[in-house]
Amino acid sequence: MTLSVALGPDTQESTQTGTVTSTDVLSAPDIPWNLVIWNDPVNLMSYVSYVFRSYFGYSEAKANKLMLEVHKKGRSIVAHGSKEQVEQHAVAMHGYGLWATVEKATGGGSGSGSGKGKGKRG
Amino acid sequence: MAKAFKYGVKGITGYLEPAERELLRSLFGDVVSMLEPEERANQDPLAALVGLDAEAREPSDRALRRLLPNVSKNDDAASLEFRRYTERSLRESKMGALKAASLGLDKDELVLTPSDARHWSMALNDVRLVLAERLDIRDDEDAGHVHLMQDWSQAEDVESYLALVYNFTTWLQESLVQAMLQSLET
Repeated sequence: MTLSVALGPDTQESTQTGTVTSTDVLSAPDIPWNLVIWNDPVNLMSYVSYVFRSYFGYSEAKANKLMLEVHKKGRSIVAHGSKEQVEQHAVAMHGYGLWATVEKATGGGSGSGSGKGKGKRG
Repeated sequence: MAKAFKYGVKGITGYLEPAERELLRSLFGDVVSMLEPEERANQDPLAALVGLDAEAREPSDRALRRLLPNVSKNDDAASLEFRRYTERSLRESKMGALKAASLGLDKDELVLTPSDARHWSMALNDVRLVLAERLDIRDDEDAGHVHLMQDWSQAEDVESYLALVYNFTTWLQESLVQAMLQSLET
């Protein structure tokens, strides 16, 4: 996964807290969770975009699109996965200073209103 | 006067005046002290070693709460449990970035490796989050208002001084991130 590429050994401590690391064994049947990034007036748009590109390995276009969604709509779902996966992402985002939360994916749209990106993750 | 960070053959380079380095060193140090976990007398040393903190609570200080936010918007119990498993290591990784950036301040000329640059951008971001809380920046309008303060001769009280410092760190971080984005292209 992109995690080890994006985070150097010195910032990886945030993911080493014992039980939270066994994400590999979880697969399809798990309930999907969303990683949500919230807007705030402090984080630079360039920085948010940089974090999406370098941490998730997203293209420039995708990173900018998600960043603008955060900026304009107040929040954006930027990744999906098992609970453990999105929690690990959330800690990494907190490490970067982004305001991230996790939430259970709901079939009928989770309030972000866009309805896009369902199950797009590989 | 500081020079904007640039990406070139040597990597990411920048230049800061001694007074600017002193200012950043103290800002980085202030945020490190905010993040230091409290020592508790009855703490389980083994739990502390693996990063568990059974007594972790949502911080009462707003700035600290922004640095160490809840992981769930609506589920306080889930946030608290998550905090007990992860907050200590999050504090440590933030302190690590702040200290690494601080160590790099020993020379006028800054030459940053990709990992230095990441530490710097995180450290500057955390400093800005804390300053923004102290300045009561709640929305884009507040941020715009603070942004108007650019003239150091206007620094007459703590508030205007903090605004100038905030704008300086914003400018520095923006120039650094632009250089980092450029480095991603190559």
